[in-house]
Amino acid sequence: MTADQIVFWVFAPVSIVSALLMLAQRNAVHAALFLIVNLFTLAVFFLLLDAPFLFAVQIIVYAGAIMVLFLFVIMLLGVDREEQLVEHLKGQRPLAVLLGAGLVAEIVVAVRAGIGFAERVPEGFGVVNEGGNPKALSEVLFRDYFLPFEVTSVLLIVAAVSAMVLAQRRARPVTRAEREAGVGGGRP
Amino acid sequence: MSTPIASFVVLSGILFAIGTAGVLVRRNALVIFMSVELQLNAVNLALVAFSRMHNELDGQILAFFSMVVAAAEVVVGLAIIVSVYRRRGTADVDAMSELRW
Amino acid sequence: MIDLVWLVPALPLAGAVVTLFAGKRLGKTAGWLASALVACAFVVATGVLLDLVALPAEDRTRVVHLFDWIRVRIFAANVDLLVDPLSVTMILVVTGVGTLIHVYAIGYMEGDPRFGRFFAYLNLFVSFMLLLVLADNYLLLYVGWEGVGLCSYLLIGFWFERPAAASAAKKAFVTTRIGDTAMLVGIALIFVRFGTLDFGSVLHGAGPVLAPVIPEGTATAISLLLLAGAIGKSAQVPLHVWLPDAMEGPTPVSALIHAATMVTAGVYLVVRSHVLFEASEVALVVVLIVGLVTALYAGISAIGQDDIKRVLAYSTISQVGFMFFAAGMKAYAAAIFLLVTHAFYKALMFLSAGAVMHGLADEADLKRMGGLRRAMPVTATAFSIGALALAGVPPFAGFFSKDQIVAEASRSQGVGVWALALVAAFLSALYIARLVFLAFAGERRSATEPHESPPVMIVPLGLLAVGAALSGAALGLTVDGGLARFLEPVVGAVLGAPGGLSEAALAIVSVVLALSAVAFAWIVWGSGKVDWLALRAGPWNSLQRFMNRGMYVDDAYAAVVEKPGKAAGRGLRTFDERVLDGAVNGLGALVRSLAAAGRRIQTGVVRSYAAAFLLGAVAILVYVGVRL
Repeated sequence: MTADQIVFWVFAPVSIVSALLMLAQRNAVHAALFLIVNLFTLAVFFLLLDAPFLFAVQIIVYAGAIMVLFLFVIMLLGVDREEQLVEHLKGQRPLAVLLGAGLVAEIVVAVRAGIGFAERVPEGFGVVNEGGNPKALSEVLFRDYFLPFEVTSVLLIVAAVSAMVLAQRRARPVTRAEREAGVGGGRP
Repeated sequence: MSTPIASFVVLSGILFAIGTAGVLVRRNALVIFMSVELQLNAVNLALVAFSRMHNELDGQILAFFSMVVAAAEVVVGLAIIVSVYRRRGTADVDAMSELRW
Repeated sequence: MIDLVWLVPALPLAGAVVTLFAGKRLGKTAGWLASALVACAFVVATGVLLDLVALPAEDRTRVVHLFDWIRVRIFAANVDLLVDPLSVTMILVVTGVGTLIHVYAIGYMEGDPRFGRFFAYLNLFVSFMLLLVLADNYLLLYVGWEGVGLCSYLLIGFWFERPAAASAAKKAFVTTRIGDTAMLVGIALIFVRFGTLDFGSVLHGAGPVLAPVIPEGTATAISLLLLAGAIGKSAQVPLHVWLPDAMEGPTPVSALIHAATMVTAGVYLVVRSHVLFEASEVALVVVLIVGLVTALYAGISAIGQDDIKRVLAYSTISQVGFMFFAAGMKAYAAAIFLLVTHAFYKALMFLSAGAVMHGLADEADLKRMGGLRRAMPVTATAFSIGALALAGVPPFAGFFSKDQIVAEASRSQGVGVWALALVAAFLSALYIARLVFLAFAGERRSATEPHESPPVMIVPLGLLAVGAALSGAALGLTVDGGLARFLEPVVGAVLGAPGGLSEAALAIVSVVLALSAVAFAWIVWGSGKVDWLALRAGPWNSLQRFMNRGMYVDDAYAAVVEKPGKAAGRGLRTFDERVLDGAVNGLGALVRSLAAAGRRIQTGVVRSYAAAFLLGAVAILVYVGVRL
């Protein structure tokens, strides 16, 4: 058993279990936390797969920024709200299990038909990562994928602007009566 | 590395399936959204695995872009959820069923 | 002048077009214009006659080719006009009597809001009638045939605001349509057999020896089909029902169309096609029977009529029946003779009846007339002349014409037929005498003060009276008198069959019959000694009603044809509404119910939607996986 195998077989179950637990939590904050665990395990996998840059980016951006954003919103919307357990739609849960199992079966079959279970990674990845993974990535990114890069930067700006617009409170002057009743809806 | 690539791909599939089940089963909009994030991450894993397999960096670039887009998507999606919550007072997706027959 | 014969139908046609478009602006001039054009046509016709007579007797047939009309591979028909003694006789009658009636109508229709249009229709009718009798082929004849039918419809229903008039016009058109359709089949059969419709080829192809050339069955079929058309147009039994109702139209219309011209078109057709009829064994017998039965039927029904115009209508039916009777006995010249004289005295009587109605503020019921001879002496005299002519009292026209027919019957038919013909002659004298006495004799029963009509109406009456009085003597004192000899090239020589009583004896019998009928009528209706009103209300009531309702033939048609027809119409309408519309609407309802069921899939719950398309996605993946 080589090191990477050990790491893999330790973190893989963690990943799966944390995902399942995220699914099962009534409390949204707990679910978010379990997702963060899952993201960490994925970062480790990236490392295993000779993608150190992505390992770092996963932790910093995904777990560090996106999940934090999630937690902010959860807390904004009422962290103490628990979801009901009762399922109103008939057959939704069995269907979900079925479809999930179906998907897994699909993947297994596809993999077996495609690359096969025995295939090991080829050796020469070091050549690709010449000069360090970030350097190699940047060369590919800013040369071959320059246009998508620029487009995604525009996308991020658009997203930021739209978030500001969407989350804006519709300001309406608070009447004297509302203020005295303690109801505030507009400007403070 | 001696772990077969297929393991990573199967793991990615399992995570994706869990994410799918989460979308179907949960009623809280935020948790559904988190399940979608899980799905995206599973896909990223598969991308990087295949990138390693083919000895190219294209998969990693693609995973990178996927993350960027996911970030943007989260921003907008959460803004929508916030504004819907402000309107409705709830984040339960089952409560928002006006577009019915 | 023969080459200008096309002017004869063209002048009234032009008049029709002008008055149709400029009628309103012309005002009363429209009437004078129309009459003038018909008068010009009469003058041209006279010129044609003179030219024709100048030719030798055997050679009096000319075809004037106007233009090529139809030319397809197997069929050709041209607009050709045939000038021969028969057609010239007809056009003289039509234009002559037509002119007088046009002039009369100027006075009769005065003040009518559609004055111009009336004369347009009248001119159009005359034009079509002339085309009918001048045609040299069956197709052109049929064009004229249909044209007069159309104008008859337009003119009967001229006062179409009155439902009775509109209904009568429709009845006339539909009833004659039945005959016209049969006639069209007959014409088609002619074409099938002869390959052409020209009179020259069909009727004179093999001359009088046509009989062995065409097979008897075909000749019978053609003749009977043409006869059906004649029966419809000439209002013979059983298609006579439209003529009494057609009296809803203005009186000049009744005079022109339903006395002098259109109803005689059938007689003209039979006489013109007599070669075909003679080639068949039964056709002429059928013609004879139809004519005789009609003459008797109409004579009986005429006695029971109370409307002055309806008496004349039934009289027309009866007299035309006489013409057919004559044609059935191969006495074609006699039939045409009666046609000419009938045109004079029947038109005269119709116009006089119109004058009577005009003077009594449109009263037409005989029960409310009486004693009019004092108030309208001229009209009374004119009418009486016409009545005497019809009754067959010498020396008026009817005596000569009708007498010839009865005489022929005695000569060539059995005693039974002759006896029936005598009965019919007796009846005609009876009903017309009744009419005269009820209207003009006795004491006044009318509510309004009657007055004489204006000169524009009286003068034509006078001229027609002269014609009715003298035409008989002028045209044919004897069986082979002037008209008969004139028509000989067309209809063949008059066959003088041996046997029967002598000429003088026959004449005496006719006169005695006529006078006894007049006497009987005087006693019952004229003298005032018999309370005929009470009699018909009392013991003779059913007979009176039987005669009045035309032996209930109309009612029989209503029960047999009209009611089932209407029921079928209602049935079809129900079928259309329930089945056809039901199917279409049902289809719509079906789609709607399917849609209503289908839209329940839109629950609005996002998770259901997600489950649905995830299911689909997995299914597709499975399918692709299995395939690979």
